[in-house]
Amino acid sequence: MNVSRRTFNKLIAGAGLAAPFHIIRSASAQEPKKGDELVVGIWGGAQEKIVREHVEKPLVEKYGCKVSYVLGGTGDRRARAYAERGRPSFDVLYLNIFESRQAVKDGVTQAPTPAVKNFEALYPSARKGGYGVAFNPCTIVYDKTKASKPITSWKDMWNPEWKGRIAWPDGLGAEGISALMMAARVWGGDEKNADIGFEKVKELKPFAAIQGSQAQLFEMFDQKLADLSVEFGSFTQSYVETRNPNIAIAKPVEGQALSMNVACITEGTKNQKLAEEWINLHLSEPCMLAYARQIYYSPTVSNITVPDDIKSKLVLGDADVAKLVDFDWDVINASRAKWQAKYDREIAG
Amino acid sequence: MNRWIGPALAAPVTLWLLLSFAAPMFVVLVLSLHEYPDPFGPLFITPSIAQFRDIVSDGFYFGVVSETILLGLGVTVITALLGYPLAHWLARMPVKYRAAAFAVILIPLLTNVVVRSLGIILLLAPEGLINSVTGLIGIPPARYMLFTHGAVAVALAQVFLPFMVLALYDNLQGTSPRVHEAAQSLGASPAVRFLTVDLPLSLPGLRSGTVIVFLMATTAYVSASLLGGKKVWTTGMLVLQEAIKNLNAPLAAALAIIMTVTGLAFAALCAYSLNRLMPWLKGKPSNPWSIPRWLVPIINILGPIVSKLLLAISLLLLLLPLVLVCIQSFNDVPQATASGFRGFTLKWYEAVFFAGTYADAFWVSVQLAVTSMLVALSLSLPAAFALARYPFKGRSALLAFWLLPMSLPHVAIGVGMLRLLQIYLIIPPFLGLVAIHVIVILPFAITLLTTSVMGLDRAQEEAAASLGASPVRRFFLIIMPGLAPGLFAAGIVGFLLSFGEVTVTSFLTTARLTTLPVRIYAESTFSLEPTAHAISAVLILFTVIALALLGRVVRLDRLYAR
Repeated sequence: MNVSRRTFNKLIAGAGLAAPFHIIRSASAQEPKKGDELVVGIWGGAQEKIVREHVEKPLVEKYGCKVSYVLGGTGDRRARAYAERGRPSFDVLYLNIFESRQAVKDGVTQAPTPAVKNFEALYPSARKGGYGVAFNPCTIVYDKTKASKPITSWKDMWNPEWKGRIAWPDGLGAEGISALMMAARVWGGDEKNADIGFEKVKELKPFAAIQGSQAQLFEMFDQKLADLSVEFGSFTQSYVETRNPNIAIAKPVEGQALSMNVACITEGTKNQKLAEEWINLHLSEPCMLAYARQIYYSPTVSNITVPDDIKSKLVLGDADVAKLVDFDWDVINASRAKWQAKYDREIAG
Repeated sequence: MNRWIGPALAAPVTLWLLLSFAAPMFVVLVLSLHEYPDPFGPLFITPSIAQFRDIVSDGFYFGVVSETILLGLGVTVITALLGYPLAHWLARMPVKYRAAAFAVILIPLLTNVVVRSLGIILLLAPEGLINSVTGLIGIPPARYMLFTHGAVAVALAQVFLPFMVLALYDNLQGTSPRVHEAAQSLGASPAVRFLTVDLPLSLPGLRSGTVIVFLMATTAYVSASLLGGKKVWTTGMLVLQEAIKNLNAPLAAALAIIMTVTGLAFAALCAYSLNRLMPWLKGKPSNPWSIPRWLVPIINILGPIVSKLLLAISLLLLLLPLVLVCIQSFNDVPQATASGFRGFTLKWYEAVFFAGTYADAFWVSVQLAVTSMLVALSLSLPAAFALARYPFKGRSALLAFWLLPMSLPHVAIGVGMLRLLQIYLIIPPFLGLVAIHVIVILPFAITLLTTSVMGLDRAQEEAAASLGASPVRRFFLIIMPGLAPGLFAAGIVGFLLSFGEVTVTSFLTTARLTTLPVRIYAESTFSLEPTAHAISAVLILFTVIALALLGRVVRLDRLYAR
């Protein structure tokens, strides 16, 4: 077929005009059709298995849609979603607490709305930056056989008996930022006055190691390379039960640091309704309980009944949730680059 | 007419690189000239050298870059020391057993880098294999072998040793037996013969091996982060951190460029000094290497011992982590990193074969690797001829361009591609991945094939021509059989590079197209189960069977021996 220059120009102009229309149309939540495809970015391993069973199955049954996964850590996912802002290849994106809040600000993902039925049941702290799907607080985890007394405060990390035995968390991820901010807070600083935290953390050096992931930390515990770190309590709980009963998960008087997995709907998704349904199913009782039972992630909704046998291992109820320490993530996100540079030079290495 | 043969042969590969590599490269260059990071800002703004100024004025970056280069040099020296005895052993292996022996270097290459690094951890850990063995003979355990530069160097040497061996093997096995007979008849012992005959003749292979290993080692980051525990910094880790965690693309881009420039400069220096040792390649007069007479008896005594020791070390280094991987695949532990055998289980194999989540990814990886390898070979063969036989103006500049993808950390290509993602997503996903994987393979294929083409015996072609063989006949009957070892090596390396690539691929895979390594990597970011080990063990078994079958059906000796 021959396309004259004029026809070609018309086509281009047409495509150009159609583009905004396309975006407007997609923003309105239309009923899902059979065969629609929902793309979900989530962590691999246990989490993938749980959502496949408790979210994908009912969703596919109801709508006859198809679900595809992009697996990996939040870093890659977030970088990709930022690059695709406005024309996302993801519909639902799982991020951590600070990434999600920043992503809403940056116009990459949507703020939560009651369009998701279970939104009403979310704890207030789980309604920021998207839909919090699991509380997963960070705290001190340590080998209790090496401790002269149980750890009850974040300040106990500065007890000389831990000198040279600490595996400090790498960088400024959820664990790293929790550790640094709690250090600042208990020694009289806060997010705006983080230098106190840095100075106090430097006092803890030399570290036995820097731990880059839960898996790496548990290996260090197994191999007795380190005896204390700051980590998610949830996953450490399953480590304690399956591999190492010597490890204790501290409940400091100052509180554990709030950390959360957040499900986010991308700005510009073409499957708004399906994405909302997906998140609604994630917040439903079967999925929440599967998370709680298998990896000890605490539910973010108040309308479910948790069996007694796992209650003590979770963060449950208004009082417990209120005790979690939340930080000023705006200040943290704004200072991130500066702190990362400081961390690389003064804490790591 | 002849003037145009070189450029014409060089054109396809150049075109491919321009289309699929130069674009992200250019984006990286432009990004590095941004004054501050703005993920949504326009790409083209007034350029600024702020990033470079910051890097140069900050001692921290200087420290990391020099640390990385020293690490790269260390790894290169280790792989050369261990690679020679191994390549020599392979080249002298009776043809019957050579296929089996090749498994020694192919199997490690087929195993995922993450899994291999975990194998090294199981080796070096305080309660790991080395300490358990030394404990038996009463040596107190070395508790702090992990998370040191040494550990990273060992892991990188394990990962890159096969590349060095492949580069050396081609040259070593190409040395005519008559040369050895001549040396022997003149009274050279095997050790002296190796030092005065084999070594000089294998220098071109050493040159390619050195450049490849050095550049790969200085841009690696997976093993460095797993075994260095952040006590070891490499530039690649820094680029990844800035690009992904801090979304600071300009700084990441600037670091990537500095890394590329320093890496290339060092590689050029290595190549230059090795070239100085081979004046005969340029037809300049040269003296044979000689060894002082008083040293000969010492070499004769020490030579066999040292070479056997090094051979044993290299075999152990390559295979022990894999044995541990296989053992771990039957281990009833909740997570892949847990050491110590808890009990026998087949559940990881069940997950691999019956849960089915890996099968799709596995086939995607195989198709992708085969396609990318074939495309890369057909592009680099003409390029190798252009380099070796048809010199033309600007050849060195072009070669530098061809080799750039190797020295540019893959994560930097990822940074560039990230900016181009929206354009990229229009391309069919498979084609897009092939385009990128071919880029990853090309530098290796070109280096290996050029060495092979240079090693061809022109006299045979002239003889065939004088007997009336047409150029086509000469190509298929003389040149191709001569190139078979090189093509074989380049094909294997190409397949494996594509099969194992994670960094760029993880940016570009979509929900419908995920490769096996990206899947394993995705699991490892949360909690890696020994299913990864089970897949690796299955692949190991496949490789052994495939090589054994191939050895029966195809005359493998024709592939290896000229």
